[in-house]
Amino acid sequence: MNFDWNVIWTHRGALWDGALMTVGLTVLTMLLAVPGGILLALMRLSSNKLLSSASLAFVEFFRNLPLILVIYWAFYVMPIAFDVQFSALTTALVALVLNVSAYNAETFRAGINSIRKGQMEAALAMGMSRRQAMFKVVIPQAARRILPVLASTWISLFKDTSLVSVIAVSELAYTSMQIRAQTFRVLEMLTAMAAIYWLMGYPQAKLVDWIHKKYGVKE
Amino acid sequence: MTSATPQGTAPAARARKGADQPPVLVYENVRKLYGDFVALNGVSLQVNKGEVMCLIGPSGSGKSTLLRCTNALETLNGGRVLLDGIPLPTRETEVRKVRQRMGMVFQSFELFPHKTALDNVAMGPVTVLGMSEADARKRAMVLLEKVGLESKAGNFPANLSGGQQQRVAIARALAMEPEVMLFDEPTSALDPETVGEVLNVMKKLAQEGMTMIVVTHEMSFAQRVANWVVVFENGAILEEGPPAQIFEHPTVARTRDFLGHLGWNG
Amino acid sequence: MDVDFSPIIENWRFFAGGLGVTVLLSVVSAVTSILSGLVIALLRLYGPRWLSRVLVFYVDTMRAIPILVVLVWIYFAFPLLAGVTFPPFWAALVGLTLHIAAYASEIIRAGIESIRPGQTRAGLALGMSRAQILRKIILPQATIRMLPAFGSVLTMAIKDTAIATVIAVPELMHRAETVAGQSYRPVEVFTTVMVLYFLVLFPVTRIVDRMYQKLAHLGRS
Repeated sequence: MNFDWNVIWTHRGALWDGALMTVGLTVLTMLLAVPGGILLALMRLSSNKLLSSASLAFVEFFRNLPLILVIYWAFYVMPIAFDVQFSALTTALVALVLNVSAYNAETFRAGINSIRKGQMEAALAMGMSRRQAMFKVVIPQAARRILPVLASTWISLFKDTSLVSVIAVSELAYTSMQIRAQTFRVLEMLTAMAAIYWLMGYPQAKLVDWIHKKYGVKE
Repeated sequence: MTSATPQGTAPAARARKGADQPPVLVYENVRKLYGDFVALNGVSLQVNKGEVMCLIGPSGSGKSTLLRCTNALETLNGGRVLLDGIPLPTRETEVRKVRQRMGMVFQSFELFPHKTALDNVAMGPVTVLGMSEADARKRAMVLLEKVGLESKAGNFPANLSGGQQQRVAIARALAMEPEVMLFDEPTSALDPETVGEVLNVMKKLAQEGMTMIVVTHEMSFAQRVANWVVVFENGAILEEGPPAQIFEHPTVARTRDFLGHLGWNG
Repeated sequence: MDVDFSPIIENWRFFAGGLGVTVLLSVVSAVTSILSGLVIALLRLYGPRWLSRVLVFYVDTMRAIPILVVLVWIYFAFPLLAGVTFPPFWAALVGLTLHIAAYASEIIRAGIESIRPGQTRAGLALGMSRAQILRKIILPQATIRMLPAFGSVLTMAIKDTAIATVIAVPELMHRAETVAGQSYRPVEVFTTVMVLYFLVLFPVTRIVDRMYQKLAHLGRS
């Protein structure tokens, strides 16, 4: 069995682009999914029954479905629902953002709820409005608890971008597997794919550990 | 159902502090339910200006609930609370204005952990009264001196003892220049050594003429500092009167039982 | 827009079979992951230093590499290296276990460490051996706390089995793709499969949430 590891070097350009796409997808998704999650969390915490139920339904929907299915479903349904042809990239982004927003919503909600009721009461007793109490007292404290969870979600997202390869978005997984198909260099390309993910992911994992340590809950 | 409230002997009632002016707070038949549990069963009470009133009684008897109804942290299921003759509003924006006139001190201090002692005290004036940071900090410093903690102004709550935190909490409530101070078991969560420093601050406040309602288990404080003591049981007032009456010759047998249980021998 | 669910109805047995494979693969890989995770956690906590370092590296690696990559490598690349082929189901089982066991081992490690050291000392004072202490005092207490997390291992397994479609495991997702491709009715097919996955996952996540609520008061023992 002969192995030609050179093929990795030859295709380094495409692999580099794929890796960039992976990172780009992760960053862009998170940039949209954080405000998305905040919006959903506020809806859920509001006293308006309609908003709160809608948010709950949305979150439950995405918590209980495999992301790969959501990606496929978005790919086939979006063109029909909106009567427009979307690029695979757009579809992928929509699916990822919706999915991660749902998880973020839970993270923000749990973070805010974890702050003792007494803090809100002390703020109200001073004459602050609910909104002032939220923004000046509760949220600054909740942010400390939310950050480590958000960091873990980030890493999951980074890995989940590989799933959009199934709708032919040229991130790292798709690119590697395309090269494999073209060159028939299965072991080399798949190992390269794993190695590149590892090179990008391992430092992120260590960073997440650091964040957990630094912002760990001290009561 | 109104509670039976022996108001103490007539001369004591007339000599009651602040009786020459209209009362600051009046509770008319206040009812509060938590599901099926009746926390307050039609309580009627009045608080005079400049009076130090202590609410005592077993746990769950409704004293903390009444306090929290006073600044609308709890909504009423019946009756009303009047501040300076005007019933408490229900609209959030107006309730806030009323809350600015009352200061509350909590059993668990509830200092904001992400702010220094100075900023905790300044927070009310800045956020609610729209004061400038500089002016608010000046006021905060004066108040921290008043409670003896000017040296800890830059400390975060995590670096303060329980007693120190509670004193900062008192300064924080005073920063809003309230007409009434509400204390919800202010020393129950403190180590015995630090209870004294907080009670001393409260005593000083009382001597300055602040109207205070204190829910407490510290009987010696009630006996020495309070002008009026109200004994609660099962959501109703068992007995009320000056400390001398309550602690030395209570008129209701169950009051004697309650105090006896606490090991209170006068 | 015309809707036609007949391909699904005609192929219901096909879908049912896929659902069966999904459930089987999920449950088995959840169990193997938890058991492997237990072994890994114990080796990390009580084993030799060098082994601990190797296992930490393994756990961190699984945090860095997507499961898709692991599955694909085991199914396509490993045979070239070792000369052995795995049938898709088994490749998926190995891949899922490898990936999820890392997560499970972290849960178990945290669970064991959350038991107050005083419990161990009490056991020692009674003359128990370390193994006995582990079996009779620590693990029983830790297990109760870890139950909700084990539940989320199961949900993770169920969702990850859908990814096994890329290595042609005949589970539900794969079946859906097949029928969608043949019938040109992807919307109806994938919508139906969505409902099916939801019906499987929702009870599990509900139970996990309930368990987390019940155990919220435990914290550190």
